[in-house]
Amino acid sequence: MENDTPLGTEKKFIVRLVGLKPGASRETLVQALQRLFKGKTAEEIGKALERLPLVLSRSVTEDKARQIKLFLEAQGAILKITYSASAIIAPPKERPRPEIAPAKQMPQAGESAPAGVERRAKPRVHTGIQVKPMGVGEILDRSFRLLRHYFWLFFIIIFIPQAVFFVVNLGLQFFVSGGIRQDVSGSMLAGFGISGVLAFILFLVVQFWAQGALIHAVSETYLGHSTSIKASYGAMRNRLGRLIGTMILWSILVFGIPALFAIGAAVAVPSLAMMGLGGLFTGIIVVVVVILAIWIFTTLFLNWILADKVVVLEEIGWMKALRRSKELMKGRTEPGFWKSIKTKASLIILVGIIIGIGIHFLFQLPGVLLGIVFPAGILITTIQGILNSASASLATVYAAIAMILFYYDIRVRKEGFDLKMMAEKL
Amino acid sequence: METTKDRLTIQTPEQVGFEYVLAGLGSRTAAFLVDTVIRWFFVFAIVVIVALSLRFLPALNLSGWVADLSKTWLIALAVLAYSLVDLGYFLFFEALWSGQTPGKRRQGLRVIRMNGQPIGWVESSIRNILRAVDLLAGFYPVGIVVVFLSHNNQRIGDYAAGTVVIVERKQSVPGDRKQFLAPRVLTHPEIEWYVSRLKPAQYQVLRSFLERRDQMEQGHRHELARLLSHQVFKKMSKSTRINISYESFIEEIIALYEKRRRAI
Repeated sequence: MENDTPLGTEKKFIVRLVGLKPGASRETLVQALQRLFKGKTAEEIGKALERLPLVLSRSVTEDKARQIKLFLEAQGAILKITYSASAIIAPPKERPRPEIAPAKQMPQAGESAPAGVERRAKPRVHTGIQVKPMGVGEILDRSFRLLRHYFWLFFIIIFIPQAVFFVVNLGLQFFVSGGIRQDVSGSMLAGFGISGVLAFILFLVVQFWAQGALIHAVSETYLGHSTSIKASYGAMRNRLGRLIGTMILWSILVFGIPALFAIGAAVAVPSLAMMGLGGLFTGIIVVVVVILAIWIFTTLFLNWILADKVVVLEEIGWMKALRRSKELMKGRTEPGFWKSIKTKASLIILVGIIIGIGIHFLFQLPGVLLGIVFPAGILITTIQGILNSASASLATVYAAIAMILFYYDIRVRKEGFDLKMMAEKL
Repeated sequence: METTKDRLTIQTPEQVGFEYVLAGLGSRTAAFLVDTVIRWFFVFAIVVIVALSLRFLPALNLSGWVADLSKTWLIALAVLAYSLVDLGYFLFFEALWSGQTPGKRRQGLRVIRMNGQPIGWVESSIRNILRAVDLLAGFYPVGIVVVFLSHNNQRIGDYAAGTVVIVERKQSVPGDRKQFLAPRVLTHPEIEWYVSRLKPAQYQVLRSFLERRDQMEQGHRHELARLLSHQVFKKMSKSTRINISYESFIEEIIALYEKRRRAI
């Protein structure tokens, strides 16, 4: 406690919950807080815990503050208790502002802070966690450690959409192949078609939801907080629409613009041939268009690769999220080609793909062998489907974690948010 | 809470502990990628040499054993050369470069024995012959799972050879760790008082800002310099009028602190 006050005086204290101790369980703390705030539901408290620091009380006696501190610290909370300049006795005094007149560094005309410096959600970092700039190797290794430590949390989050897809797919297959009814009419087939489209839309929604939940879960655990599958999915509820919209926009632009070039080339080549400009000239045009389309795709993909993290962690969406991602990805933080931001991102993706292929191979192999040894049937299809779903989840989760850590690394390097946090405690 | 680094501690008979940071799956894969590119270059060179030999050797009218080299023999030699590159690349480099290959050197990794000693030909041979098991179809499916489950991030080859892959300590001093010269006349008389009470952790924050400021975006750099300076002013809690920039003010504090530390 920062001030010792004799008992019985009117001096009051403010009790703030500033974080969770390493390894502390969020659920236990929510239960403990429910005992203190009887009118609040677990969900309300859980939501409040996402916005730390949390003021638990603005005016308690020293005794009460001490009791709260002892009780909540035993449940894994980190509390900060400060002396409240007794609001009952006198109105709070305004703190004298220091006279600061830096000569050279007043904001210049035309020079402004990057858009949204204040707007951006400030990451809450656990005091016991070290956040610092990392190299590509460190990002990859840290991702591996995170995955190993929180394997079931991340795996189940990403496995849920695969499981939904698998169950729906299996059900449709079973129905269409005559597992339930043999006489499938035309109208029923149309019904299956509509059901299939609806199932695909459902899968997409759940897939984006899981993507957002994974970003939330990795971010929380990386910054030293504990989270759960339910909390991660729950945190995405009011951001889901924005995430889906942004990711659809992302897909249209990243895949659509290069596709337009390809369509243009497909139309232009026969026209040129009809005009008698065949052979070498047409070949050169095709090569140039293909190179241009690949270049545009790569540039857009790398520029906007952090858009989903921005939507989830900074709570901005659509074009703003794409612009913010581009802002983070542009420029360089270190000298040298291999240390440029886009090269680092490419290397992380490449390593992720290689590890993903390895995992895919390992999980697909038993399914393929089963298919060779045993005759096709519902059991073999089910086993193969489960293995496919598991391999698809495992293959993507590592690269996804690495990219989230990469996002934080850029913010540490370009915005120094670790230093900002430490500066506040200076 | 997840630990920041996986570590291996080796205890000597004198009860002295040496701590090594273990390399994870990601950095090892990145090193493997670099090595694969180099190996492909060697393989490409072999293919080019064989193709050129098949094309031009008969036209040279050579005598002796060279003239007897048939097409089949040349291809057999090429396959042998490829096998040597494929297996020998890792085996020779790790044995001759004390546990490093060009890829590992690039990533700052090294293979050592479990007791901390450098690996020799035997360890290098065992771990690289068993690479075939880990590698299985080129994408390390077995290796990935074994490393994931291993306490010391070891693959099957590492277990058999009794080796681990560690991250080397960086010995060099950061290039941007320049010295700041303390001014003859202080911009603020309270600075000296503040510096005398500055704790190492606080100094580290200010120093880190000066070291990393060039990487930061202008807006955030100014914002952070302002924030840090304000925190210092708050501590000094007196008149805080200064006529230099925030960054110069922080440089002054660091210069004074380092001057005092050198004097001590």
